[in-house]
Amino acid sequence: MEEAVVVTPGEVLGTTSDVKAGRGAYAAPHNDTVYASLTGFRRILPPSLDSSDQRPTVEVTGHKAHGPVPQPGSVVIARVTKVMARTASADIMCVGSKSVREKFTGIIRQQDVRATEIDKVEMHLCFHPGDIVRAHVLSLGDARAYFLSTAKNELGVVSAESIAGATMVPVSWTEMQCPLTGQIEQRKVAKAAS
Amino acid sequence: MEAITLIDQSVCPGDVVLDVSTIANHTIKLGGGLRQDGDVISVTKSGTLRFSNPNKYWVQISQKRYVPQQKDSVLGIVVDSRSDNFLVDIKGPALAFLPVLAFEGGTRRNIPKFEIGTLLYVRVVKANPGMNPELSCTDASGKAAEFGALKDGYMFECTTGLSRMLLSSPTCPVLDALGKKLSFEIAVGLNGRVWVNAASPHTTIIVANAVMNSETLSGAQQRIMVEKLLQKIQ
Repeated sequence: MEEAVVVTPGEVLGTTSDVKAGRGAYAAPHNDTVYASLTGFRRILPPSLDSSDQRPTVEVTGHKAHGPVPQPGSVVIARVTKVMARTASADIMCVGSKSVREKFTGIIRQQDVRATEIDKVEMHLCFHPGDIVRAHVLSLGDARAYFLSTAKNELGVVSAESIAGATMVPVSWTEMQCPLTGQIEQRKVAKAAS
Repeated sequence: MEAITLIDQSVCPGDVVLDVSTIANHTIKLGGGLRQDGDVISVTKSGTLRFSNPNKYWVQISQKRYVPQQKDSVLGIVVDSRSDNFLVDIKGPALAFLPVLAFEGGTRRNIPKFEIGTLLYVRVVKANPGMNPELSCTDASGKAAEFGALKDGYMFECTTGLSRMLLSSPTCPVLDALGKKLSFEIAVGLNGRVWVNAASPHTTIIVANAVMNSETLSGAQQRIMVEKLLQKIQ
């Protein structure tokens, strides 16, 4: 049932004996109270009929729509910003099929570029600044960036521009060719979805 | 437009060097300063057009800026030191990294302590566009081979064209003429930096001035210039 009650982070939503903490709420371990962790509208969901735990779930949903946030396991589209000796930085642009609202940075480490011969990877033969890559989020990483991986056939560079300025055409899983000059450049190419 | 007329001539950006449609079944290799624009090869940097058999064309450029290239020997100045590499300025678009272990017999226990401002003679190991170049103080086989810090002496900057001329073989006329009368050490970096060291500051200044003056002079003119300079002093 919809209620127009707005709650703020830290507000008490109930006790753990009465309600279960859902999205946007958490149960404090030291006392048995459920608090809100987001600002938004409080909603109480009835318990599912066949579960042993008959407490309703309380959740707090945002009062304005949030953009999607990369989660471990999601597939993201990112643009490579910097390529260094053992890592490449990328700006995450889309999570799944939705574009993000805030800036998220990802890092692709040398050992996560591909699945085979991971210590012989040369980063500049896999990515160039400006390439669009499809990657898989490994983890939330550190305070600066998510850890991304392109270690699957369908992950890697999706679109790249050649030195001459034209969009390149994939030729194999390691090469892309410029249509204007015919020059071949090395990238870790994603297998096109058939 | 036949390329033959322009070889060894000065060219400017925009000059059309060759029309590819006129020569069928022939591969041409384009070096620096040339660009293929559809059917036409045009110049992108001003310099002298050079040709080498059988099919290589390039523009010989002399500029004050340096574009890092693999295998070049350059003079760098230490700007900062990190745990795993030194940051070195080599007059390129980005700072270069010199790994702390890239020295002959380099281990974690005997990492050299370079102060900020130390002048180093180093070799460029990796130089990819968009990435920071990587340097080394050893040659390709791992020996020290004169690479490392340069002590004392005087360093001045010049164009990349002058550096290449000083390093050409047979010995550049200005260095040959100076070497016959004076005793000095010189290190030339392809990035447009030259270091000179001699017993007295007097000699150092003469050598530095002679080298700086010799860029636009021909071989004979260089020898005459050096003679006149030495006559004035003695």
